[in-house]
Amino acid sequence: MKYIFSILFFFVIFHVNASGDNLYQKVLITNAKLAHEASKSLIIALNKNNKIPKKEFKNLVIRWKKVEAIYILSSLDDKYIDTPWYLDMFHGKNENIKVQLNRIIESEENIVKALYKNSHKTINALEYVLYTHDLDNPRVKDIALLISRAMENRFLEILNGYIINENEFLKDNKIGSALLLNSLVESSYKLKEWRVGDVAGITRKYKGKPDNTRSEYYLSGNSVEAIKAILEAHKQIINSNQYEDFSDFAKNYNANKEIALTIKWLNNSFQILSKIKNDNLTGDLAKEFYQSSTNLQNGYYSSLMNKLNFVAKILDADGD
Amino acid sequence: MEINSFNYFLDPSKRIYWVFIFSSLFIALIFLLIKPNYRKVNFSRALWFHPSALLDYCYFLFSAIIKGLILVPIIIGAKEVALLVNKLLIVSFGFQRINSFSYTEIMIMFTLSLFLISDFTRYWLHRFMHKVEWLWELHKVHHSAKVLNPLTLYRVHPIESLLFGFRYSLGTGIVSGVFIYLFGSLINIYDILGVNIISYFFLLLGSNLRHSHIPLSYPIKVEALFISPRQHQIHHSKEHSNYNFGGFLAIWDLLFKTLIFSNSVEKIKIGITKSEMGNYKSILNLLFYPFIAVIRNTKKKLNRF
Repeated sequence: MKYIFSILFFFVIFHVNASGDNLYQKVLITNAKLAHEASKSLIIALNKNNKIPKKEFKNLVIRWKKVEAIYILSSLDDKYIDTPWYLDMFHGKNENIKVQLNRIIESEENIVKALYKNSHKTINALEYVLYTHDLDNPRVKDIALLISRAMENRFLEILNGYIINENEFLKDNKIGSALLLNSLVESSYKLKEWRVGDVAGITRKYKGKPDNTRSEYYLSGNSVEAIKAILEAHKQIINSNQYEDFSDFAKNYNANKEIALTIKWLNNSFQILSKIKNDNLTGDLAKEFYQSSTNLQNGYYSSLMNKLNFVAKILDADGD
Repeated sequence: MEINSFNYFLDPSKRIYWVFIFSSLFIALIFLLIKPNYRKVNFSRALWFHPSALLDYCYFLFSAIIKGLILVPIIIGAKEVALLVNKLLIVSFGFQRINSFSYTEIMIMFTLSLFLISDFTRYWLHRFMHKVEWLWELHKVHHSAKVLNPLTLYRVHPIESLLFGFRYSLGTGIVSGVFIYLFGSLINIYDILGVNIISYFFLLLGSNLRHSHIPLSYPIKVEALFISPRQHQIHHSKEHSNYNFGGFLAIWDLLFKTLIFSNSVEKIKIGITKSEMGNYKSILNLLFYPFIAVIRNTKKKLNRF
C-alpha cells in the first residue's frame, strides 16, 4: 500500500512541477501538497525522538487550515465530501474523544483496533495525544504515529483528488469561481462564529461567557496561527498578482469595488490578528477581529450579489 | 432606470423592447390576415390618434422622467433585500449550505422561482389595486384609457409604479436571499439579454397585444394556464375589471376564482364609467386627480361618522 502511495506521490510532485500558473494549481493543489508534506515531516519528527514535535505540529495546523478554508473538492467529486471530517472534528460530531482516547491509551488493546473511529484519527485527536500525554510512553507514541499516518493518507487522498478533478474545475469558469466564493463565504462564517465568536463570548450560544478553552487549538496554542492560515488562504484566492485570482474573475461582473473593499477588510483582519498575544481570543481585540471578519463575510456576499446583476436593477415597475 | 423614454425600446427588460414590439406586430399581422374584419379598427386613425392614445404617448414620455428621477432613488433595491434576508436566515438558523444539487438544477429552480414569485406578487398587487379603495383611485389612471395600445402599459400613476417597484424588490430580493442562504454563489438564472428566459419568451409571444385591439384568444384549456391578450382586454372592460388580474399566468386567477375566459364575453366596452372618464383627460389630471378623489372619498367617510 505504502509503495502505491509513494508512486502516486512522485506522480503528483511531477504533475505539480510540470503544471502551469493557474489558481487551481498554484493554490489548491500546492496547498494540498504542502499539507501532505507537513504530515510527513511530523511523522519523521515523531520517529526521531520522544519530544513533542511542536514546530512540525504547528506547521501541520497551518497547512491543513489553508486546505480546509478553501476546500472545494467535495463539490467537484462527491467521493470527497467526508474527507475533511476524517481529518478534523472541530464543531463536528458531539463526542468526547478525550475520554475515549484516555481509555485507549490506558488499555492494552491493539491500537489499530482501538482507534477504530474516524474521530480518533483527526488532527484534534493528535493534538490531544501530543499535548496531554507523554511521548516516552511507547503506546502514546504509537498512537500519535498511527494518527499521523492516517492523516498523511488523507492528505494524499485530497491531493490526488484535486489532481484528478482539475479538468472538472477548469471546464467552467463560472462554476469554478462560484465554488471558490462559496468556500470563502463558508470559511469566513466559521472563522468569525466558531473560531472567534464562540471563544470571545460574542455568539448567541455563549453570549457574555468568554472561554479560551473553546478555541480550536487551545492545547497547543495554535489557534491564532490557524486563523492566520485561514486568512492567508483567502488572500491566495482574492488578492494575488501571481496568477488570475478571484478578483480577476469578479471583474467580469463588475464587482471590482466590492472585491477591493473585501481585500481591505481582509488586510484589516490580518492587522488585528497580529496584535493578539498568547493565543488569547477572549479580549477586546478578539471582538474587534470578530467585527472585521463579519465585514469580510459581508464583502463576499456583496461581491456575490453583483454577479446577479438583474437583482440590482429595478425591473417590472410598470404596473399592468 | 432610464430617464429617456426612447431607451425603453432598446432595453430588453422592457415590454416595449423593439424585438417584443416586432414579434407582437408579426403576430398581429397574422391575426389580421386570418380575421380581416378586425383590420378596419386596427388600421384606423381614430384608434391611433384617439385623445386617449395621444395622452398615453405624452404620458409615456413624461412618466419615464418621473420614474428615473424620483421613484428609483426611493425604491430599495432587490440586492439590499436579498442581503438582509440572507443575514436574517443566518442569524435565525445558523449557516446552512445544501450541496446535493448540481449547478444546473439550482439554476433551473432559481429561474423558475423568480418567475413564479414575480407573477404571483404581480397578481396580488394588481388585485389589491382594484379592491382597496384608495389604490383603485390610483389604478383608475390606467383603466381610464378608452383605447388600448402598447404604451397604455405606462399609463400608470407614479405611486402605482412605486408599489410595483417595491413588489419587484421584495419578491426578487426574498427569493434571491433564500437561494443565497441555501446555495451561496452557485445561484444564477437562465437569461436572454439579462432577462429571465421564461419572462423573455412570454414577452416575445405577443405580450404587447394585451394592450391592443387584437382580440387574440387561446383555447380554453390554454387560457386556464396563460392569460391571453383577449383576457387582459376583457379585464380593461367596464363590466369585467375585477377579473383576469394575472400577468403571464392564469393559474392565480383560476386558483383565486377571478378568471374569466375569452369565449364567455362577447362585446367589451373599454374604460371606466362614463361620468369618471372626464377626470383623466390630461397629464395633470392623471397625476393629481387620484389625490382629489381619495380626499373626497375620505371626507365622505368622515362625514358619515
